[in-house]
Amino acid sequence: MSFDETFDVIVIGAGHAGCEAASAAARLGAETGLITLNLDLVGQMSCNPAIGGIAKGHLVREIDALGGIMGRVIDRTGIQFRLLNRSRGPAVQSPRAQADRMRYRAEMRRTLEATSNLHLRQGKVVDFVLDHGTLAGVVLEDGRRFGAGAVVVATGTFLNGLIHTGRRTYSGGRAGEPASIELSETLKRLGFPVGRLKTGTPPRLDGRTVDWSAFEPQPGDETPVPFSFSTDNIEQKQIQCYIGYTTPEVHDAIRENIAESPLYSGKIKGIGPRYCPSIEDKVVKFSDKSRHQLFLEPEGHDTNEVYLNGFSTSLPAEMQQDLVRMIPGLEEARVIRPGYAIEYDFVDPRELGPDLQTSRLPGLFHAGQINGTTGYEEAACQGLLAGINAALYTQKRESLRLRRDESYIGVLVEDLIKQGVDEPYRIFTSRAEYRLALRYDNADDRLERYGRGLGLVGDSDWDRFNARQSRLAKIRVALETVRLRRTDAQHAAVSALIGNDLGDSISLEQLSKRPKVTAALIMSLLPAELKPIAEADLNSVLADSLYAGYLDTQKAAIAKLYQHDTLKIPRHMTFRNIAGLSNEIVERLDRAQPLTFGEARRLPGLTPGALSTLLAFLSAQQKTA
Amino acid sequence: MSTIVALSTPRGRGALAVIRLSGPDAIAIARQMSGVDELEPRHATLVTLRGPNGDELDQVLLTCFNAPHSLTGEDVVEISCHGSPAIVRSIIDTTLELGAVLAGPGQFTLRALSNGKINLAQAEAIRDLIAAQTEAAVKQASRQLNGELSNALGPFKEKLLDVIVLLESALEFVEEDIPAPRANEIDNDLAVVSEGVEKLARSYSAGRLLQEGVRVTITGRPNVGKSSLFNVLIERERAIVTDIPGTTRDTLTEAIDLDGIPVILTDTAGLRETTDGIETLGIERTRRAMSDSDLVLVVLDGSEEVGPSDRELIDQTENIRRLVVINKSDLPGSNVPASCVEELRPINVSARTGEGLSTLRAAILASVSSNGVDEGGLLITNARHYDLLCSTQRELEVARAAFRERHSEELVLVPLHNALKFLGQITGETTTEDILSEIFATFCIGK
Repeated sequence: MSFDETFDVIVIGAGHAGCEAASAAARLGAETGLITLNLDLVGQMSCNPAIGGIAKGHLVREIDALGGIMGRVIDRTGIQFRLLNRSRGPAVQSPRAQADRMRYRAEMRRTLEATSNLHLRQGKVVDFVLDHGTLAGVVLEDGRRFGAGAVVVATGTFLNGLIHTGRRTYSGGRAGEPASIELSETLKRLGFPVGRLKTGTPPRLDGRTVDWSAFEPQPGDETPVPFSFSTDNIEQKQIQCYIGYTTPEVHDAIRENIAESPLYSGKIKGIGPRYCPSIEDKVVKFSDKSRHQLFLEPEGHDTNEVYLNGFSTSLPAEMQQDLVRMIPGLEEARVIRPGYAIEYDFVDPRELGPDLQTSRLPGLFHAGQINGTTGYEEAACQGLLAGINAALYTQKRESLRLRRDESYIGVLVEDLIKQGVDEPYRIFTSRAEYRLALRYDNADDRLERYGRGLGLVGDSDWDRFNARQSRLAKIRVALETVRLRRTDAQHAAVSALIGNDLGDSISLEQLSKRPKVTAALIMSLLPAELKPIAEADLNSVLADSLYAGYLDTQKAAIAKLYQHDTLKIPRHMTFRNIAGLSNEIVERLDRAQPLTFGEARRLPGLTPGALSTLLAFLSAQQKTA
Repeated sequence: MSTIVALSTPRGRGALAVIRLSGPDAIAIARQMSGVDELEPRHATLVTLRGPNGDELDQVLLTCFNAPHSLTGEDVVEISCHGSPAIVRSIIDTTLELGAVLAGPGQFTLRALSNGKINLAQAEAIRDLIAAQTEAAVKQASRQLNGELSNALGPFKEKLLDVIVLLESALEFVEEDIPAPRANEIDNDLAVVSEGVEKLARSYSAGRLLQEGVRVTITGRPNVGKSSLFNVLIERERAIVTDIPGTTRDTLTEAIDLDGIPVILTDTAGLRETTDGIETLGIERTRRAMSDSDLVLVVLDGSEEVGPSDRELIDQTENIRRLVVINKSDLPGSNVPASCVEELRPINVSARTGEGLSTLRAAILASVSSNGVDEGGLLITNARHYDLLCSTQRELEVARAAFRERHSEELVLVPLHNALKFLGQITGETTTEDILSEIFATFCIGK
């Protein structure tokens, strides 16, 4: 076998998944080749120039705790930060930031170029090299062959990408970029089940032609909350976003021309995400709404371009210009880039193990949109996991697997590989049963040690983590041991505030659970020798305490309901032998190969009747064993 | 997939026995044993069954059912043969030789369940149906078999889901332009669900009695006529032969059908008199029997004065569900109860003549169904369901309290999801995907 270049790990695609994968693999000591169609577009945000949001922000934080790079990059390039759900509990608070799109790309590239063992290459992968059935490398369109022990496919929307604008359809992975057709054929040839999904993007406007006064400003937070544990402050100048609305006239115009939309003319076969609907979808499905919300998001300090969030569409380009002008405040607006819909291939993620390696071809890993997910953060966390495991694979070390009770990444991966996808998968907090335990602020508690164990978390980060842990420990001890006694000066005042007598002596921990008791109040009651105490640290400890009781009752209920979950299912069990299971269910079980009753229970399509049958069978087996 | 066979009627001698086969070979076996090729489905055919040697086993009525239109959803054959154990054995042995296997306990029901002919609640109802001792219990089990429990819970589950959808949307889609849920509406909805579930759960006490039988104990000092009363109650009613666990040699127990309610009547007769006339041992036994009871009949002798042991019994039973019965109303002077007894609203009967017995029977029935649940209503007869409904209701109350205290939604949602899971164990689970689908159908979400 001759190769023009040899690496340990090759990553195909330099989007959000690819960049994380390449960075992690390289830092784990693997010689890593990152191959992309266009080196100028490393780290490109395909649609919304923003990172984070509810649950998505959690993913970014977990990536950071593990030693990934997304958090750092957005911290350095974000231009409007908002912590969402401030008024709600800490478990559902999550940051979101608008990015300077160009600077994000530049910063991502700079980060990758500063990473040892990481080699950027421009080119298009069209095939794999197999050495007697074993993955050995990739073949590029221009004829070059690169060798590698492991390959991570992170091709985003480029596999057989088809762009639709009105009646025009053309091949493309993103507007202005070619699709990757041959690689898709290669995957099909290897026997991978391939499906079709779609997504869309709105038009971009020239900011100079927008009447900003007609819109409601949405400023960012005064003190931005960073994504990365390593970021102390956000230094960049911040901007505002703006909120606007469509009108009934706009809706009528869209409805009149709905036949021009490929989404409605039936031209598009792929299935789109329910939570990223086009404006056509919104107007048709929720026709009683007289207005739909829009966000104007400036794309950066060095450009006039504005992203029109909420107006995703694939109506003809000229029609988009007319429609936009019907929106109050956009009467003079010019569309710089029209919105469009894109269909693309994805590979059934049930082909993957928890390490994101395909079972069909060892050494081949899939990460990101190719697995049927949508969103930069969803892609990035898969990229991180795949990159880590690709490197570990070549080093013959044990892979990293994350559980759903310890991370949102674990929830996402398990959902994908166990259930597959019917439509693009986006992360929500409701997907995690242990939502209360998976907080934004405790991602490091849960995951930092994995990152350190692998070698992805450097010394300064590890020191910072340990310092925080000991601060938290001190606060915890203080809350338990410091008591507010009747003889103390503040006792009467605090009792009056709560409206109840506090008793002779109450620990600060117990006091913190009473209504109307704020973190600030607790802070004021802590002894002077402990101060100064960071508000964030105290909030973390209080959150643990707040949620502990609820987590316990949840665990008790789950234990009661799912007491049979740990019942083991023998490996390579022939489900057909169980009397009374329908063919369809036998198929599902054969496919998923659950190892415990709990895993079986979570499979889609398993009826209560079938589960009872399975349980009866396993229990009987257990008795005779 | 095997073909199972079992005797479907109780063991022992009888005029008829029914043997059932279910599975892919059932009809082939029937053809082979009967020698008849064309067996019209759902038609009882008189055939002669022969053994493997060709010798005649019995003349039987044979009915075939083609899948999926059968009890189990598979091919089913029912054989009604003469009820001799030897005949039954030989028929079953022959089917075994022809490839059938003996069914495990409940296996027919299991197959019906797996083939979707019945759901879990219905499967349990079948079990209850078989165990049902009276017509009323049969009625209850039949209702459950008809999916009534799942139907009754349906609207509550929907309402609970609506609340969950509202709260999840509020916390997940915080940047979207969706209306904020109204607090009093949510509180109302949760109250409706909680009360509905509680009402169903409450019916269990009556339901349990219906299923297991009301335990009625007859107490009273010697010679008040307990045994006569016991006998006449038994005699008048149709006796059910059944196994009563936990009976002692000192008590007589018999089960009767009182207007559809199974009553397990215990007579604390046979208590020995000691020389000083106070039966301490007897009182101890009585106390034990009473604590096991659902209803105590305190019997007094109407022809005599109310004595100290009478009074002691009345005191002892003050806090238990009881009826005071004054026996011997046929004797002179018995219809005027002593003043201390009058406010207890005693029932006057004569075990000898039968006078007052219908009033007594009615009073026993009334005390059982006095849980505020009308007998026409759906009763929960299953301990597992009762337990799940109680768990559901507990979680709902936790959620209501958290919501009223304006806790953040993710805290209120924990017990709500727990409640949904408990309900789901009866009616079937609601997944995260179901909830997400509901959210997106309700609200226009997405930028």
